[in-house]
Amino acid sequence: MAASDLLQLTLTDAAAAIRGRKISPIELTEAALAEAERLQPVLCSFITILYDQARREAKESEAALSRGEYRGPLHGIPIGVKDNLATAGIRTTVGSKVLADYVPDVDAEVVRRCKEAGAIILGKENLEEFAAGMTSNNAHYGAVRNPWNLDHVPGGSSGGGGANVAAGVTFASLGTDFGGSVRLPATFCGVVGLKQTFGRVSQRGLLVTSFNGDHIGAMTRTVRDCALMLQVLAGYDPLEPSTVPVPVPDYSALLGQDVKGLKIGVPVDHYFDLLNPEVDAAAHQAIAALEGLGMSVREVSLPMMKYAGALRFPAMADSVVTHEPLIEKARSQYGVDVLYRTLAGQFVLGRDYAKGMKVQRLIKEEHARVLSEVDVLVTPTAPIPAPRIADKTVVLGAKTHPVRGPGSGSVSRNTSPSNSTGLPAISVPCGFTSSGLPIGLQLIGRPFDEALLLQIAHAYEAVSPARGCRPRAIQRK
Amino acid sequence: MDLSNETLQAMIAAYDGIPLSEAELELVRPELANYVAAAEQLRELDLSAVFSGRLLRMAE
Repeated sequence: MAASDLLQLTLTDAAAAIRGRKISPIELTEAALAEAERLQPVLCSFITILYDQARREAKESEAALSRGEYRGPLHGIPIGVKDNLATAGIRTTVGSKVLADYVPDVDAEVVRRCKEAGAIILGKENLEEFAAGMTSNNAHYGAVRNPWNLDHVPGGSSGGGGANVAAGVTFASLGTDFGGSVRLPATFCGVVGLKQTFGRVSQRGLLVTSFNGDHIGAMTRTVRDCALMLQVLAGYDPLEPSTVPVPVPDYSALLGQDVKGLKIGVPVDHYFDLLNPEVDAAAHQAIAALEGLGMSVREVSLPMMKYAGALRFPAMADSVVTHEPLIEKARSQYGVDVLYRTLAGQFVLGRDYAKGMKVQRLIKEEHARVLSEVDVLVTPTAPIPAPRIADKTVVLGAKTHPVRGPGSGSVSRNTSPSNSTGLPAISVPCGFTSSGLPIGLQLIGRPFDEALLLQIAHAYEAVSPARGCRPRAIQRK
Repeated sequence: MDLSNETLQAMIAAYDGIPLSEAELELVRPELANYVAAAEQLRELDLSAVFSGRLLRMAE
């Protein structure tokens, strides 16, 4: 098989081919490294490419297969890791100049799990500085570009991962999602992104973040690949108190099963309020397609979402506490977008923090009530398609909103609520704008019921107008 | 609600905050405006009987 064809495989197919000794981890890794090298000047999707380590791991992986040892479902599979996840002995910058030379001693738990399952770490992926935004236009390591249109952002903050998965450089990339940072790159880059239930995956080794709503999740090219990645990542971590000791089911078990009779809720509040018309149309076409699969559709009401702005208060205050020591030590090394967005958090009153937590409770209860009546909620993942890299503002409704830095956040208005509720949410490609930019559909499910979410996403994926589409902007001339 | 630069500077001084110049306060303003707008909206909501909480449970 030609190197370029190898990289078109899904993770699931590549893993099966390796296990069946039809392809070798060495040839797959060499193909991925060559593509990473070719596209890095174009996409700027990595901060560090691990040529030597990846080759060493590929040789070990090949040798293990020769001995009859199969390490796990990621054996010999090249993946990317966002550069805010600790990697032992490899610098982990968090996209910042402040931590440009930071080298952790231990792997993040998710990295350890991926390695244990046999993954080969191709590199540390570019992101928004300190993962605090949705453009991945990094002042220190360059602007990540969208493989579908290089003038546009890939979304953020896990933009390097989204771009790499879409471009076929990695078979999966680990991202982090504190307001949509896995799901927004997924929607803007036309791939699948899952933020599972809070407590399902350990956050240990996720650097410079808030305890209140950050999640580590995977971006992949298919829903089945996403289920496979969650299978590797999920599980209780006794050293990470936010993980919950509940059983880990087989996340692929329901894939392909009939979705007829399942119930979809379409929120009449908040999620469809401020949409680009093409996003609105694509979302409604997707809802019609789900109905065509035999699911029943009904409108649901979430009136407390009127107060969703308060969900950000705890995160604002947490953020300033997290950054305070770094700002005191190296303020001049901060980019202005993250610095001044963060410093606003010092003015959040304790009373408002508490109110934000209470609003979080009300919104969680409301989602729980609605999700006792329907199986999933369906919304557009982002209100707009990917903005241009040069854009400083976007128009939502009749108002102009900043895309980056202080006052930004409107682009994550449909994704960030699930960070506060902790509910699992997946983004699946559902079409394109007239200019060829991807659009994503978000499915929100019940706590710890990712299997059902994946089942519905998988059924939709098969009828999505985006199925099988790959970006052309980065194809070989 | 209008938070003047004087008020913000007084908060920083009184609460041992991270210093910001007048020019820097203007850069913080858009984020602050979102906070203030959301906080003002909450005035219409009685939250006195609401418990805070985060734990998520699996379906029985």
